[in-house]
Amino acid sequence: MSKVDTVSTDVLIIGGGPSGLATAIHLADTLKKNGQSQKIMLIEKGSSIGAHILSGAVIKADVFKELLPDVEFSEIPFNAKVTRDQTVLLSEKRHFTLPFHIPYMNNKDNYIASLGQLCRYLAVKAEEKGVEIYPGFAVDEILYRDGKVIGAKTKDTGIDHNGNQLENFQAGTRVEAKITIFAEGTRGSLAKMLIQKFDLTKGHNEQVYSLGCKEVWSVPKGNIEAGQVYHTMGYPLNNDEFGGGFIYGLNDNKVAVGLVVGLDYKDPSFDVHDAMQIWKTTPYVSRILKGGKLVEYGAKTLPEGGYYAIPKLYVDNALIVGDSAGFLTMPALKGVHLAIKSGMLAAQTAANALANNDTSEKSLQQYETLVNNSMIYKDMYPVRNFRQAFESGLFFGGIQFGTQLITGGAGFLGRLRSHPDYQSTQKLSEYKKKPFKERFKGKLEFDKVLTFDKATDIYHSGVYHDEQQVVHLHIKDQEKFNAINIEQYGAPEQFFCSSEVYELHINKDGKKELRIHAENCMHCKTCDIKSPGDRITWVVPNGGNGPDFQNM
Amino acid sequence: MALTIISLIKQVPLPSEMRMGEDGLMDRTKAKSIINIDCTFGLEAGLQLKKQNPDARLIVCSMGPGSFDVALRTAISMGYDEAYLLSDRKLGGSDTYATGLAIATMLRHLGFSKDSKEPYIVLAGRQTSDGDTAHVPSQVAENLGIPQATFVESVKADGEGNVVAKRIIEGGYQMMKLPMPCMISLTPTGIPPRKPSLSGAIRARHLKITTFGIDDIGLGTEKIGINGSPTIVAKVVNIVSERPPITMSEGHNEASMVDSLIANLKKGGNVIVKKEDVAKKETERPDFPEKDFREGSRGILTWAEITNGTVSRPSLELLTPARNLATQLGEGTKVMTLMIGKNIAHLAQIMIEHGSDEVIVVEDDKLEEYLVLPFSSIFEQVIKARKPEIALFAATTSGRELAPRIGMKTDSGVTADCTGLEIGEYIDRKEKVIYTPILESRRPTYGESKLATILGFVCPQISTARAGTFEVPKRVENRKGIISTFKPVLKEKNFVVEILKTVRGGGGLQNLFEADIIVSGGRGTTNDSLGLIKGLSDALNSQGVNAEWACSRPVVDEGVVEYARQVGQTGKTIRPKLYIAVGISGAIQHIAGMKESEKIIAIDHNPKANIFHNADFGIVGEYQDILPELIDRVKAGFTFGIVPKK
Repeated sequence: MSKVDTVSTDVLIIGGGPSGLATAIHLADTLKKNGQSQKIMLIEKGSSIGAHILSGAVIKADVFKELLPDVEFSEIPFNAKVTRDQTVLLSEKRHFTLPFHIPYMNNKDNYIASLGQLCRYLAVKAEEKGVEIYPGFAVDEILYRDGKVIGAKTKDTGIDHNGNQLENFQAGTRVEAKITIFAEGTRGSLAKMLIQKFDLTKGHNEQVYSLGCKEVWSVPKGNIEAGQVYHTMGYPLNNDEFGGGFIYGLNDNKVAVGLVVGLDYKDPSFDVHDAMQIWKTTPYVSRILKGGKLVEYGAKTLPEGGYYAIPKLYVDNALIVGDSAGFLTMPALKGVHLAIKSGMLAAQTAANALANNDTSEKSLQQYETLVNNSMIYKDMYPVRNFRQAFESGLFFGGIQFGTQLITGGAGFLGRLRSHPDYQSTQKLSEYKKKPFKERFKGKLEFDKVLTFDKATDIYHSGVYHDEQQVVHLHIKDQEKFNAINIEQYGAPEQFFCSSEVYELHINKDGKKELRIHAENCMHCKTCDIKSPGDRITWVVPNGGNGPDFQNM
Repeated sequence: MALTIISLIKQVPLPSEMRMGEDGLMDRTKAKSIINIDCTFGLEAGLQLKKQNPDARLIVCSMGPGSFDVALRTAISMGYDEAYLLSDRKLGGSDTYATGLAIATMLRHLGFSKDSKEPYIVLAGRQTSDGDTAHVPSQVAENLGIPQATFVESVKADGEGNVVAKRIIEGGYQMMKLPMPCMISLTPTGIPPRKPSLSGAIRARHLKITTFGIDDIGLGTEKIGINGSPTIVAKVVNIVSERPPITMSEGHNEASMVDSLIANLKKGGNVIVKKEDVAKKETERPDFPEKDFREGSRGILTWAEITNGTVSRPSLELLTPARNLATQLGEGTKVMTLMIGKNIAHLAQIMIEHGSDEVIVVEDDKLEEYLVLPFSSIFEQVIKARKPEIALFAATTSGRELAPRIGMKTDSGVTADCTGLEIGEYIDRKEKVIYTPILESRRPTYGESKLATILGFVCPQISTARAGTFEVPKRVENRKGIISTFKPVLKEKNFVVEILKTVRGGGGLQNLFEADIIVSGGRGTTNDSLGLIKGLSDALNSQGVNAEWACSRPVVDEGVVEYARQVGQTGKTIRPKLYIAVGISGAIQHIAGMKESEKIIAIDHNPKANIFHNADFGIVGEYQDILPELIDRVKAGFTFGIVPKK
């Protein structure tokens, strides 16, 4: 039982989000249509499908008709059709409703949904089509033979903090597959290894990210109607910080609220979670939550580098789909329809490759061609420079975006480069504006009615991690970390983390030490993205660990 | 001669990690189902045995609805080979007696009986989190007629057809050798269950689980379900927390945190606002005929458990409810105490002076150490001879396996781990009859959130009482009573189990009952082998405060501390003036063992720790920072408001 078992499948899909499930469903359908019979296995690290899924979400739903042609559209568990869609400019006390839609942000005919619920539904459909889904298993190793991907291995369990095998050691399982599809979502930990190994970002932009913190509330009847969509700009963010708030009315007097902030901000003490709490205290937001109760909390990053940040999507025997590839369109922050579409195109490619018995890079290149001829390209290319423009701040970004609109996305500057988000963070000595805590002085006492500290919020995420395992957040160079991240940057980790994993402890003698409470981790991956010097690596913990989102 | 390992498991609602519903109450409907925690330790014990016996066949069995399929498949994914489920609607409402019978019948149907040629071991969890009785393993063993060891932490096969088990007892442990076949029930203190493997999960997905109905295994309806159950749950009420919400310390470092704690202690923390009980309308007692079902059984029998050559404290405590019940029953009801051992007759007078009317002494050289097989047989013989209406046992590790084994012999059923024992009556509105007098056994259940009243309709009505719940009755010197002797028939087959070694640590337990302050360390405090925990306790003692140190289960598991200092394992309840929990997450068992403390201070780095829901004052922080600060303050004279004795 402590020996490593090897199992085999034709197609291995790593990740049970919209892209992975769409790959599975469309592949099963295509194979059936072609009279092929091949085995599809999908592995998900969450304790169940949906447990690690978090999205706004207002979804362009047409792609679901394409994915599930035989299904009555009304059967798909969307929450509500968008009935009202407004964008609002916020200040601390006031708001101003924009009389128009920001281009690409119109939500007419879109649907509000819990993406977790949609994924649970898709998983049932996939299983009905013969896909074998295994939730609760973490995959932490890509298997290679002669330098080519041949599958992946699940994580060994029964290991203590120091990495020693315990008596209940259970070796991981090697899964060998003809094609492995990486569908791990945003900042996938295996996709990251794959991209590094094969240098798949060569000639492409660096991926950049936002962090979204989200709460679902139950509110008194009348506070908001299902189907109402409000986006806010402005307060509490300033010109240096790219992002905004969202308020989506759900069925049963529930409402999803959240704040999304680009991780290229400069203030080393900026805290997205706390900013969201402050955002909730504006009269515009608080009136919707008044009398309500927090039901659930969660957080996740979003890849928003756009078209130029999409890496090369294929190598021998492997494809990357969904958020792991960066399929997300700005400024609408929509990726679900692209994730599903990319999964379907990957499925089409995989089916052809299996039929021709050729899973080489050359054969899988078809995927890229399909993507570039699809609505993914149509959605992403016109806004290819959108996000980069805003690296110089909202004002100049707005001007550049304006010129992009006129020039069909090119702007006057051509292709804009981007930098990894951690490079944007400034040292304490460099950051000249008011740091976060001073900027919002007096607003950071959370009342646990409208506003919550991280500890209370994460209690509402169902997060759990096994105690017996190696801490899954690796600091690359402890000495440098202490000297630079703590001393020079003031340990931004303690602020940017959405779930109080990092604590800077200062003892009586003034000795500073970063403590890691890995058990709180929401799997948002912010630390893997934003730690100055790229000094933290997020490694997948034991399978089934992490949050347990119900309706995120 | 291939070995077969059979694990019995039950699926239960996830006891912790349950989500708060929108009304602020635990939402059980959303609680996920898991394999009962103790049972997973049984599963792991089986997998460990397989390591030593690679040819062993691993079987997992359960009884329950079809949804238990999930639990069985989880066992397969951990490494088991075959799965069987006994599932029949007619089994609904079975008490532990009927459950034990049904499971034993299924095992016999699968070819496992006391006469099986092939060796086998039945493994089970000590108890389930939704029932907490610990009865079923004993009852299955009694029904199959095989020896047993309960509260076992680790188990090995010796290669000669025997099983060597390490059994946890009060204040220590015992090494026992049992011949196969035998039943072993595991405490959740051994090797924690492994996680499933993907290859196992793939196997589980495709494996066929055999499901039996009662007809398939030849089980009649008269002995199962509600009809076959000698006990019923008459009433369940919520246990309302007596502890007001916690006051958390605030501060930016350990010094300010401790300042805040001291200030909070002075202020006195929150108080609970008691709602006036709305006077409930007493439903009128119907005019049904009364029925005395005792059929001539009279008197109360208790067991005097001997440990280290003396009567154990819980056995003395037992005389409080026994006397109280005797008074309520009237008619000169006698309290009899059975005392079994070697050279113990001189202890009989102690029992009389604490309240027994008669002590029945059974002495034999072979009976020096407690063994469930001969002791249950002796009880059966004494019960036959004396016909008591009630039999009471302390809910010690021995009492909790002995009582159900006896209950199976007398067909009485047993109520486990009671905190209240009263005489009452039962109005049967269907049969239009009032059963009176009847023993009402009250016991906390569902993770200490409910108080259930259990009634038994077969004499003797058997209950075990939680240690620490009742006071030891005052000793009256020279109180008069009868001391009699009883000569049981002792069969050789009752001595097949051998005790290889008994290890008991000193002190501990007793001191914990008497200390004013207990400083208790959990898993989070083992880095320095509880040095800081002991340090705080020592500092308090040097200030003249009667302080002791203790620990939670994982600390004992790690071998850092002897079992005697563990709070919250075998149902012992301590009630110091102040309990300081450090680095303790607050598992249900631990809370049960310390929640009677007058005041509770919790210190833990995890703000989500359950302990904070069960404490008056809290500090979120690392113990390495907070405790040195506290020790400094104590050295400077701070004693948490407890007045020093000197």
